[in-house]
Amino acid sequence: DSNLLVIILDTNPFVWAESAKAPHTPLSLDDALRQVLIFINAHLALKYNNKVVVIASHVGHSKFLYPISDDEITKHRISGERNANMYPNFQFVMDQIVASLQELLSNTDVSFLEKDSGTSSMITGAFSMALCYIHRITKNDDLGHIKPRIMILSLSPDSAAHYIPLMNCIFSAQKAAIPVDVCKVYGEETAFLQQAANITGGIYVQVENPQSLLQYLMFAFLPERYARKFLNLPNQDQVDFRAACFCHKKIVDIGYVCSVCLSIFCSWSPVCTTCKTKFAFRPMVPPSPMRGKPSPISK
Amino acid sequence: MSVDNFKTNIYEYLETLPKVTFLRLFEKPATCLAIFRLLPSIGRQIVMSFLYVEAEIQVQDVNNWVNKDGEKMLPEALHKLSRLRIFEQKSSTLTMNYTFRQEFRNALTGGGAQQSFGLPCSSPDKHPVDIPFLDQYATQQWESILHYMVGTSSNKTPSRGVLNLLERSQLMQYGTDNPDTLQITNKGFQFLLQDVNTQVWAFLLQYLNMAEVLQMDLVEVLNFLFQLGSLELGENYSVETLTQTQQQMLEDLRDYGIVYQRKRGSRRYYPTRLATTLTSGNMAIAGAALKNVTAGDISKTAATGNSGAGTTVAAVVDEESEQGFIVLETNYRIYAYTESPLQIAVLNLFVQLQSRFRNMVAGVITRESVRNALIKGITARQIISYLETHAHPQMRKKTPILPLTVVDQIQLWEMERCRLKTHAAYLYHEFNVQADFDAAAKHAKDIDVLLWSNPKKRTMVITQSGHDQVKGFVKRRLNNPRG
Repeated sequence: DSNLLVIILDTNPFVWAESAKAPHTPLSLDDALRQVLIFINAHLALKYNNKVVVIASHVGHSKFLYPISDDEITKHRISGERNANMYPNFQFVMDQIVASLQELLSNTDVSFLEKDSGTSSMITGAFSMALCYIHRITKNDDLGHIKPRIMILSLSPDSAAHYIPLMNCIFSAQKAAIPVDVCKVYGEETAFLQQAANITGGIYVQVENPQSLLQYLMFAFLPERYARKFLNLPNQDQVDFRAACFCHKKIVDIGYVCSVCLSIFCSWSPVCTTCKTKFAFRPMVPPSPMRGKPSPISK
Repeated sequence: MSVDNFKTNIYEYLETLPKVTFLRLFEKPATCLAIFRLLPSIGRQIVMSFLYVEAEIQVQDVNNWVNKDGEKMLPEALHKLSRLRIFEQKSSTLTMNYTFRQEFRNALTGGGAQQSFGLPCSSPDKHPVDIPFLDQYATQQWESILHYMVGTSSNKTPSRGVLNLLERSQLMQYGTDNPDTLQITNKGFQFLLQDVNTQVWAFLLQYLNMAEVLQMDLVEVLNFLFQLGSLELGENYSVETLTQTQQQMLEDLRDYGIVYQRKRGSRRYYPTRLATTLTSGNMAIAGAALKNVTAGDISKTAATGNSGAGTTVAAVVDEESEQGFIVLETNYRIYAYTESPLQIAVLNLFVQLQSRFRNMVAGVITRESVRNALIKGITARQIISYLETHAHPQMRKKTPILPLTVVDQIQLWEMERCRLKTHAAYLYHEFNVQADFDAAAKHAKDIDVLLWSNPKKRTMVITQSGHDQVKGFVKRRLNNPRG
């Protein structure tokens, strides 16, 4: 059986700059990249037919770092020189990833910093690209030999504007039985990615000591799907199940849910925007804790 | 299945080596990588997780790490790890072998100066060869050996070294009637039915045994074999980094079709598909019609031999299923889509071939044909696994792959040959007194040597080992009749 590991790397340069200056636990993109490359080599070393795909989720867009098409290989002038000390597969993958990443970062559009979405990266876009790639590969694979899984290395906070597309991706992954693992390297907890790991049966780890990122990766994220049945891997005790409302994209704890299509709203509206069902009654007033008797139900 | 076969063979061989040899073996990152891939899943995970942990590991921690389902697999994995000298277990702690740790880290990071992954030639070849040529060369060499074993007429007899190897591994033996030619043995027939990887490794293990006798350095031979497994197909490598022993090996490996060298003293060599799939377990030779990398649209890289890239994910799957060419029906008919005379000769061992077309042969599995195979020493299990490994992709889509009726029937035909079991025994008869007979029979049954008795006729059969005791008992009884 071949294991296909799709890594979604959060390459938001602004957040990485913050992380490199973090007071107690600095981690720059260089350090992290070195450790991730060793992790990728470890994954390829497990079996001769393991495959890896790396997608960078940048601000505003996401891009495949590996595998890339032949024109791009020549464009980046990746030298085909072979090093006798390195396994050819490892070298091939590493060269491409490093070259693509360099090109990606040097072409960053700084104007995004001014916009609101400056601090969040395009995880949803990368996630969709990953799912499409996996679908394409498994379509050719009649005998079910390829076992895909997705791993997200995330730093930026959740972007509530992308709630709906992200949840759609998560549900597709669940249907296709693709586990989604999340490694939170820097930044606070993200509710949506926690839910992703929880629903698809993946692993969620908040890294406390980023300098030893490699050890976290090797221990928790390396085991393939087959080996996970036998190992006790980090689990989440409490999952933050908050959602974002569909109207303003705010994250809400308590809200209004349409009984037909289950879309979530922060405030009542007579017509559901998703399924256009009309609700012809006035809303119930929630009982306030100060009143003695329960209020009469208004029709 | 084929992957596990040759893995167990290599593993068993490695287990026999002394600790010192392992320490030398671990000095090369390529060897560390190849040995690492032989471990079971949990074993691999344990090695990776503790590769960068310098402290000693408590066995208790490892036990806690594995959950209930994995508890059964853990002892076996730990056993293998310690037999391969990767981990040493002392009372309650595990320590990883220092050399292995350093060199394996080098393998992952590309460090070290061992050049153990093969140095490609810097100057271009004046007579370059491409992948189809290499495949054809490998197939030609390998099949000439197999043809020689089966006895089909072919132009080339294999070289002296190969014949020597065949004889030492008892796949062929010098015939009693004409002591000059080799004839195939039972073991040889079984060998023919195995898949290519297992066959190649059987040869190589025999070669290793011979190497010890010929005073070749075992460690260097093993290093070179594992290095071959990590080379790229289609790339030419320089002989500069090889030691004396390894260069000598190149000549032998040429005969088996594992590497290609234009002339004996050539400064570069090309690994063939047989070499690059040595440690991977993927089917080595794709048969007559080699459909190369089918993901042709995204991979022009096939020509540069980057067959490990993610672009060829689909191709890897195709390679495995393209080995299959046998369609087996429930009415025992077989259709084999092959033109290779070798495959047809192998099929002829247990199938009654009825018609032959340009791209296909058709036949029937009959009792006679299977009995012929059984008489030659082939087991039913081997016939069934041969059919399974070479099953056509259409067949593979069904579960079970082969029709159960045919599988069961082949096994029944095998069991038919075991209808009689013989025991060396003694027959006791002509007891004059019933009481004597009953007492003797009871005694024999008590000491568990009675095979058969007939009280009416007063005869019984005693095993050879129990004969003395029963004889003594009967004599005593006859001498002291109890009235």
